[in-house]
Amino acid sequence: MKTIKHTFFYSHKPEAVWQYLTNAELMSQWLMPNDFKPVVGHNFQFKARPMPNFNFDGIIYCKVLEIVPNKKLVYTWRGGPGDGTMTLDSKVEWTLNAKDNGTELIIEHNGFASDESMLQIFSVMDAGWLQNIKKIAELIKTA
Amino acid sequence: MPQARLDAFQVIADPSRRQILNLLTKNSLSINHLAENFDMSRPAVSKHIKILYGAGFITIEDIGRERYCALKQDGFKELQKWIDYYNDFWKSKLQKLESLLDEKAKRSKQSK
Repeated sequence: MKTIKHTFFYSHKPEAVWQYLTNAELMSQWLMPNDFKPVVGHNFQFKARPMPNFNFDGIIYCKVLEIVPNKKLVYTWRGGPGDGTMTLDSKVEWTLNAKDNGTELIIEHNGFASDESMLQIFSVMDAGWLQNIKKIAELIKTA
Repeated sequence: MPQARLDAFQVIADPSRRQILNLLTKNSLSINHLAENFDMSRPAVSKHIKILYGAGFITIEDIGRERYCALKQDGFKELQKWIDYYNDFWKSKLQKLESLLDEKAKRSKQSK
């Protein structure tokens, strides 16, 4: 798995779901404490649990990139060990699709691997790293 | 001189290092062969290779007179760790959101 994508269906109108995605108080009820504002360019933070194993100090630094009311919301999602460097540099994208009896909510969290070429390398690593080791073994034999 | 330890994201943030990894997806290659693909000096390529090696993205083996590089899984696992973490994170958060929305709808129905 290289990118994260979840699709959920809620039997509520997009306007109701949108409130929970864009109102700081409501967001904190299911996500994390934050100082979000629905303004493009607004910098905000989520406060999470520090995870030293992950080089993560517990603060997620975000910036609102795109807002289409009741339809789409995009922000950056960055974190680091607390020395100013961002070791996690990713992007969260919310899409809301109105359905007859509710809302389809899609979250895509990506950018972990810097660019598309890394995704390709990822898939090679998944499928072929054993093969690569075999190649080395063959080279050693023929050397 | 020892290289400063970079984490997986910093390692792959550099385009030259990504290109080295890309070249290695097709085959294991000697350092000399890798260096031929770049305009920079051979020591500069070696420095990138050392960083990739230090972060567990590649192995280096001496075969005959050449040093061969091949992809290694450890560095990639570091990245996968974050992806796995956030995959579960969002799943549980979105479930929580569902119960909040349901509760709220129930409350507003009762108050009518």
